[in-house]
Amino acid sequence: MPRIGVFVCQCGNNIAATVDTKKVAEEMGKLPGVVYTCDYKFMCSSPGQEMLRQAIKENKLDGIIVSACSPHMHEKTFRKAAEGAGLNPYQCEITNIREQCSWVHHDKTKAAGTVKSIDLTRMTIQRLKKNQPLKKIKIPVKKKAMVIGGGIAGIQAALDIAEGGREVILVEKEPSIGGNMARLSETFPTMDCSQCILTPKMVEAELNENITLYTYSEVEKVDGYIGNFTVTVRRKSKYVDEERCTGCGECIEKCPFKVDSQFELGLNKRKVIYTPFPQSVPNVPVIDAPNCTKIQKDKCGACAIVCGPKCIDFKMEDKLVTEEVGAIVVATGYQNMPNERFGEYGYGRIKDVISGMQFERLASSSGPTGGEIRRPSDGKIPQSVVFIQCVGSRDEKKGVSYCSKICCMYTAKHTKLYSHKVHGGQSYVFYMDIRSGGKRYEEFVRGAIEHEGAMYLRGRVSRVYEKNGKIMVQGADTLSGNQVEIEADMVVLATAVVSRDGADTLAQRLGIGYDKYKFYNEYHPKLKPVETVTAGIYLAGTCMGPMDIPESVAQGSAAASKVLALFSADEMAREPITSVVNRTTCNACWDCVTACPYTAIEREAIKDRQGNVVRWVAKVNDGVCQGCGVCVAACRSKSIDLKGYTDEQVFAAINAF
Amino acid sequence: MEKTLRLKAKELLESGEVKVVIGYGWNRSKTRTTPVFITDPADVDTLVWNPLCVNNLSLYLTRKYKEIKALGRPAIVAKGCDIRNIVVLITEGQFKREDVFIIGMTCNGTVYKQDLWKGELTPNIMPTKCHNCDVRNPHVTDFVVGEKSTFTPPEVPTGMVYDKVKDLDSKSQSERWAFWVKEFSRCVKCYACRQVCPLCYCERCITEKNMPQWIETSAHPRGNLSWNLTRAMHLVGRCTFCGECERSCPVNIPLNLINQKMIGVVKEAFDFKSGYDEKTHPPMIVFSPDDKENFIK
Amino acid sequence: MSGHTEHSAPTGGYEPKIMAFVCNWCTYAGADLAGTSRMEYRPNVRIIKLPCTGRIDPLFIIKAFENGADGVLVSGCHPGDCHYTTGNYHARRRWIGFKHLMEFAGIDMRRLHFSWVSASEAIKWVDLINKVTDEIKALGPFMEYKGLKATEAEQG
Repeated sequence: MPRIGVFVCQCGNNIAATVDTKKVAEEMGKLPGVVYTCDYKFMCSSPGQEMLRQAIKENKLDGIIVSACSPHMHEKTFRKAAEGAGLNPYQCEITNIREQCSWVHHDKTKAAGTVKSIDLTRMTIQRLKKNQPLKKIKIPVKKKAMVIGGGIAGIQAALDIAEGGREVILVEKEPSIGGNMARLSETFPTMDCSQCILTPKMVEAELNENITLYTYSEVEKVDGYIGNFTVTVRRKSKYVDEERCTGCGECIEKCPFKVDSQFELGLNKRKVIYTPFPQSVPNVPVIDAPNCTKIQKDKCGACAIVCGPKCIDFKMEDKLVTEEVGAIVVATGYQNMPNERFGEYGYGRIKDVISGMQFERLASSSGPTGGEIRRPSDGKIPQSVVFIQCVGSRDEKKGVSYCSKICCMYTAKHTKLYSHKVHGGQSYVFYMDIRSGGKRYEEFVRGAIEHEGAMYLRGRVSRVYEKNGKIMVQGADTLSGNQVEIEADMVVLATAVVSRDGADTLAQRLGIGYDKYKFYNEYHPKLKPVETVTAGIYLAGTCMGPMDIPESVAQGSAAASKVLALFSADEMAREPITSVVNRTTCNACWDCVTACPYTAIEREAIKDRQGNVVRWVAKVNDGVCQGCGVCVAACRSKSIDLKGYTDEQVFAAINAF
Repeated sequence: MEKTLRLKAKELLESGEVKVVIGYGWNRSKTRTTPVFITDPADVDTLVWNPLCVNNLSLYLTRKYKEIKALGRPAIVAKGCDIRNIVVLITEGQFKREDVFIIGMTCNGTVYKQDLWKGELTPNIMPTKCHNCDVRNPHVTDFVVGEKSTFTPPEVPTGMVYDKVKDLDSKSQSERWAFWVKEFSRCVKCYACRQVCPLCYCERCITEKNMPQWIETSAHPRGNLSWNLTRAMHLVGRCTFCGECERSCPVNIPLNLINQKMIGVVKEAFDFKSGYDEKTHPPMIVFSPDDKENFIK
Repeated sequence: MSGHTEHSAPTGGYEPKIMAFVCNWCTYAGADLAGTSRMEYRPNVRIIKLPCTGRIDPLFIIKAFENGADGVLVSGCHPGDCHYTTGNYHARRRWIGFKHLMEFAGIDMRRLHFSWVSASEAIKWVDLINKVTDEIKALGPFMEYKGLKATEAEQG
């Protein structure tokens, strides 16, 4: 026979005004298994809790009910108090007779409130009789992190984790870290040069002892759960031995072949053995295998001949490395919507219609023109430039419905850069709205318009065509109501910020969610902005959606602080509300595996002594299970149950109704 | 067809490719067909094929029949409709496609009940499913026996079961209630419907779980209702309308009505028909964020 | 084990018994908010809290009717708001199936309600409870189900 104690709280007059707490206690005392009841003014007060502890000890209670306020309020308090008296905390249950009884049923005769309180408490008592003592789940935590993506957000996250004294592996797909920011000329609103503020951070990441750089590498597989991930990384063959390469650059010098540079977005050429840009980190070149005649046809090999340390190996192969980490930060960044989508703006047809990112390269002092604004077709300095905003953004039909957020600001920046670099040049901006929320952002845009002479036209461009060596841009100026036609030498399209190709594949490998644009989903858009639904995996930067540099950096730091907090203890304690499988009755139909929102259920082979598989059963991974119970309702044979909300508990509560 | 079937069975058993052929044979008086399990190539002439081969033999591939599983890799003689159940079993991980050799039988229909057979297959003795069959040419097979059927099912399914579902739908809620209470009141909880269903393969049926005992075990109206509702719910999106449950019910509860009703609901709500594609999960364990309903307020 | 308290109103009229299965994160919190805001509503509902609507087995609902519920209410987070990201989508699928089954079986659907109530929708919760209670009160006791008497002692 259980020995249950029922404590009915008056909550001052909050409960007692409409519930006869004494009567509730008396009635509950009549139920089998209830050996102690009382009602008290404030159960949550120190004397209240002390009374509870005393009663547990004196009456040898093995389960208690506190009928009081919402469990969201004081469940933790009372469970802790019960634990203090030696009771398993999960043998303490709360009946909510305040928020969902006394406060909503104002009958001063106390009839309705008392009846309901009695019913609810009785249901909880019967449920409690089916409770099992539970233990918090302890998960060991591997104190090493992986950051996927070496752009500014990823670099920041890696640096912060490393400075917190933990090891980090920074995985970057390209031969160098730096990401999109490495391409930028100057940055709004302060106009510092992007390289000048980014390069030191890149170098810091390379030199920090706690950071291991895996460049030219991609994540292939992720197993495990918070504290215990196993990540397989493909380290693509660079054909250059990273350890021995001194970065002298002789090989690049000698390579006789040139192809379009992806880093320069086709505005310039690079060698077949190359580093993407001069400040690359690590400063180790890679061979572009598909274009290398040595690798493809066994001809040439000039690079290997000049290489002093002999670190070129044409037979080098991809390597798969496995890393065990406790947390993962995903910072894979964004790309721009391919310009090819915008034929109506002349892209592809007219050579001097370029993207905003290409303009960044033209304005960059390390870019193909050395920072002079020269148009791609003939290298002439354009005397008038038209900037078109919202190319693909806020355009559900042809592009994406969302605002790309950074274009208003960088277009204003472009007009400024242009007016600084081309005196007397005239810039025009076609915009839908100017969105310049942010510290000193509005002033920045106003400066471009009022002091730098950029001509802002509110309206859409309808047609771009060539006439007598000029680019004719036709559009509406909706503020004056006039159609305008502008003769331009160059047109710059502010193309939409979109998710990276392959973002969905990576999300599936990681088990994190993404929206219809393949931007990753944060756990909660306001309160958990860098967490994902998969515990132990965090997000930073534009892989979540458009954002600017300060936001990306802030998120990198935020994600790092989450990782460091996780690593601050050797073990992580979790609520033991997880599912458990009855192995003898499991049908191995895998419905639970399919339904689980967390991929927390695995297939387990039961083997005989000889090691032959006898049968298969489902197995819940306690580290991953979040306790939603979707699997329980999906299981036809009732072979899986949710601790803390078992079928027996629910059944007992319904039966006591 | 029988000759081809027997030859194939013989070949499969002799080569050792399969260890048992699950098929149809005659009962002693040759009035009904009955499942046979042939392990010796010398016995293949036992196999028969005719419109009396109405049983859904896929039942014998389930975990309920461990002794058959123990024989080794099976070949099964299966009509298209039976194969739909095999497909569901594969989807639900009960075995792999390659674990079974499917001898698909081209079919022109079966009799609804074997006692109705007078030597000729006439439309009036065929079950509703045969009149609307789109798998007379079996759809997932390792070997096909029989000439290709040119039958095309009517665009709008027809037949007694559909008519009755429509009729019940058009009745008032209390009339439906009265109808089912009356039908279910005959239930004796013999569980024949469960035993014969290839998709009721649970290691332990929920009715046999007693902590807690969700479904009252004795045959009274309340327990009968919860059993029949639960049975139907467990088959939503999985049932292939093979009709074995109703055929085996000793008290003739029209289980086909409830099954077909839910098949219609699943088709309408999720555009899903079970038993065609082993890679698609049954709709009750997956979801779409765009699922449409109008009753959740 | 079950010992129903007859819910007689002060006036002595018939008071229906309504069982509600709600999720912990949205509807339970929404009901709490109705309390902290001191809104008033009908006292006929008895809540059973579950982590998620995805945990709700149709058997719960059947069992509630078997135990004399005159009405059952099921409520959770709005689509897209699930604490477990997709639990309520799973629930919605099941409800679509179950609702049609119950309807076909002849259950009076005015006695079985499904809803989404978020943690901030205290007013919606209050309106819902009042509406459901009044409707079921007007219908009277669920005699059809209660009439399916068990011939032996109740399970417990």
